[in-house]
Amino acid sequence: MNKKFKQLMAVRGMGAALTAFVGLIIIYVAFGLIQPQVFSMRNILNLLRSMSKYLLIGVGQSYLLITGNIDLSIGSVVAMSAMISATMMSSGVIVPIAILVALICCLAVGAVNGVLVGKFRLPPFIATMGTMFVGRGIAYMVNGNRNTNAISSGIGKEAADRFQNFFYYGSTAGVYNTFWIALIIFLIFFFLLSKTRTGRHIYAIGSNPDAAKLSGVSVLATVTKAYMVSAFCSFVVGLILCAQAGMGNMEAGNVYEMYGVAAGVIGGVSPLGGTGLLLGTFAGAAVWQTLENGLSMAGAPVGIQRIVIGIIVVGAVLMDIVFRRGIGGRKPAKKADK
Amino acid sequence: MRMNEVIVSMQGISKSFPGVKALDNVRFELRSGEVMALLGENGAGKSTLMKILSGVYTRDAGTIEIFGKSYGDLTPKQAQAVGVAIIHQELNMCRHLTVAENMFLGREIYKGFMLDNAAMEREAARVLGELKIDISPRQVVGDLPVSKQQMVEIAKALSTNARVLIMDEPTSALTSKEIDDLFRIIRQLRANGCGIVYISHRLEELAHIVDRVTIMRDGQYITSMNFQDVTLDEIIAHMVGREIKEKFPRVECEKGKKVFEVKHLNAGRMVRDVSFELYEGEIVGFAGLMGAGRTETTRAIFGVDPKESGEILLDGKPVSICSPQDAIQAGIVLAPEDRKKDGLCTKLSIRHNIALPNLDLLCNRLGVVSTTKEDAMCDQAVDNLKIKTPNVDVDAGNLSGGNQQKVVVGKWLARNSRVVMFDEPTRGIDVAAKVEIYNLMNQLKQQGIAVMFVSSEMPEVMGIADRIIVMCDGRITGELSARETTQNEILTYATRFENKFAQDEGSAKA
Repeated sequence: MNKKFKQLMAVRGMGAALTAFVGLIIIYVAFGLIQPQVFSMRNILNLLRSMSKYLLIGVGQSYLLITGNIDLSIGSVVAMSAMISATMMSSGVIVPIAILVALICCLAVGAVNGVLVGKFRLPPFIATMGTMFVGRGIAYMVNGNRNTNAISSGIGKEAADRFQNFFYYGSTAGVYNTFWIALIIFLIFFFLLSKTRTGRHIYAIGSNPDAAKLSGVSVLATVTKAYMVSAFCSFVVGLILCAQAGMGNMEAGNVYEMYGVAAGVIGGVSPLGGTGLLLGTFAGAAVWQTLENGLSMAGAPVGIQRIVIGIIVVGAVLMDIVFRRGIGGRKPAKKADK
Repeated sequence: MRMNEVIVSMQGISKSFPGVKALDNVRFELRSGEVMALLGENGAGKSTLMKILSGVYTRDAGTIEIFGKSYGDLTPKQAQAVGVAIIHQELNMCRHLTVAENMFLGREIYKGFMLDNAAMEREAARVLGELKIDISPRQVVGDLPVSKQQMVEIAKALSTNARVLIMDEPTSALTSKEIDDLFRIIRQLRANGCGIVYISHRLEELAHIVDRVTIMRDGQYITSMNFQDVTLDEIIAHMVGREIKEKFPRVECEKGKKVFEVKHLNAGRMVRDVSFELYEGEIVGFAGLMGAGRTETTRAIFGVDPKESGEILLDGKPVSICSPQDAIQAGIVLAPEDRKKDGLCTKLSIRHNIALPNLDLLCNRLGVVSTTKEDAMCDQAVDNLKIKTPNVDVDAGNLSGGNQQKVVVGKWLARNSRVVMFDEPTRGIDVAAKVEIYNLMNQLKQQGIAVMFVSSEMPEVMGIADRIIVMCDGRITGELSARETTQNEILTYATRFENKFAQDEGSAKA
């Protein structure tokens, strides 16, 4: 048991990820004691469904954070996905085509981000801020600067119901489909990051891009893949929002990119690159949603919710830094040679 | 593999960077089963030439033949595939990844859809074992000391089945025992028929392993010859294009009054009960192995790392130093070990670097920097230290190592410092620049400034310092007069470890 635990803790970033899970349980139980309804099955199911968005966004953003980059265009890609698919569906285009077109557009944004950052070495903050504005602009323009009509007005009530149930209202094995979708995508990208070459290269680039390059790693390909992952996750969230509302909203996904950063950072993903586990991001997304859920059920105003969440994000990173360096900030002593 | 066969032939290689012609019609030949020293001052183009051979840079003109096959523009991956591996001067490891992950970066082993970590760790362990390097493949590289990281780099290069191995200053971070290990590995590789290119500024080492030398100067090929047929002086003459009279210039000074005293300083595991004194008119050398706690001592004195106990006296009066600001105010300054990381803001100009710690002198009451004063200060520093630069607005990062070091020193000399601590000031700089740094220390000594000189290069400590303090494992183990001591004596003190059996057992359990 002890040995197994040691092995587990030897995985880089596992400490922070487990800490986040412990934090999650404490927060959840604390809210449950204040407001017993938090423990109800209905609330748990709702929690799982609403954390799915943050989980997906967090996975995408974590990919970028681990490479030492950032993706600010996430929220805009969410809006693009929602608006493009909703506009097409509300004018009668069948669901698969609408989804496919939205997917292609979203991935294109990811590819552009990847090329700007990976090939032209634009600072990721600037490059993705550019695509953030452009993406939001596209989301506005798709339906002529207006939110779309209900999608059922185009594809008919039956098809609209099927779409909405698949992504939001329906459930499988007692749990909302939204969570299953997020979980499957999470597992796929978890596998990609921890068990494949691409994942290894993502960590390497975040740790030391020069060394990675000199070892024959293609920075362009790796960074582009990371941005595509992030764009794909955003695309799925866009569909979820579209299904939830039954229409496209131009403001969908606003500031979601920051929710992604928060989920990753609470879970121990280093914003400087090189370390972090998606397991931590999972915990981070859950912490985030539990806070939102718990605070609103306890009747706290939105303002308080924001303040608490802000403090939690900074606190998580602060704790990590103090934990790692000690309060004095002394550089770690070199280990004696054996 | 056949011995003594030309395996690398580079002819007429030229390469320009914006504003400089780094290589001009250079040729280079390497044979199997030999160690070729590539020598030259900083900026001679050695590293550039080798980066072309390993595919990091592409050449502007010239031909490259490796194992009889011609190559145009090599990429790092191609070079790796044909068997060329380079160990870069700046360590190039991903700190967050493990030893095995680093060794297999870019050529990971797969089992089905998954990375085969077990296979990679096994293979890494095999290579490390062959080299008799005692590191676990699962260890995270960032946790290893620099010297071990270097060993990992070598193991990484060898795990690609390299037949041409380029080592750029491989010993600059190693202790003498580790250097012995490295030489053992190099000899082993040579016997297996590898061709090894060895770039180093430490000419004393060459005799141990080198077969032939190629000398470059100012981006041009000068000559190549068998090592046995030349003397070190001839090599140096070829390198600098003139003769250097004295490798270790020494000036005699009257030993004056006591300037600086450290009493029972404790700071972490690497600084334990350190006490010493510095006097006017002398240079005190700090010798020891890597990790002896010398750097940590300078950092603790300078207020970078917190002190646990101890007293620091300047001119007989106790001073309290909790931060570098305190130290600088008191007149105690540090030229740190890692120029690029700790010594300079490499993206700022020489002007801004020199002004940075002296802004209190340069600013008026509103905090506006006086350009006139700044100009005067920088001009003086450039003149005094003979910093080779077109003007002071050049980025410090673009200077050669020797000139960077002068800027680091220059920023402290602009204020009236009482104690100057040099931590490995000559690491990675060429012979001529080293002499200039020595002269600079001698100047300080003559001005009555206490000079503390940390160096791992024994000949230089013995040649420059008047008194030598030896450290081992965080403690001072000996104090010697430089004139009367021998390398062996220093080494005896430097390896005087505490009997730590009990302790070792404890840490093995932890």
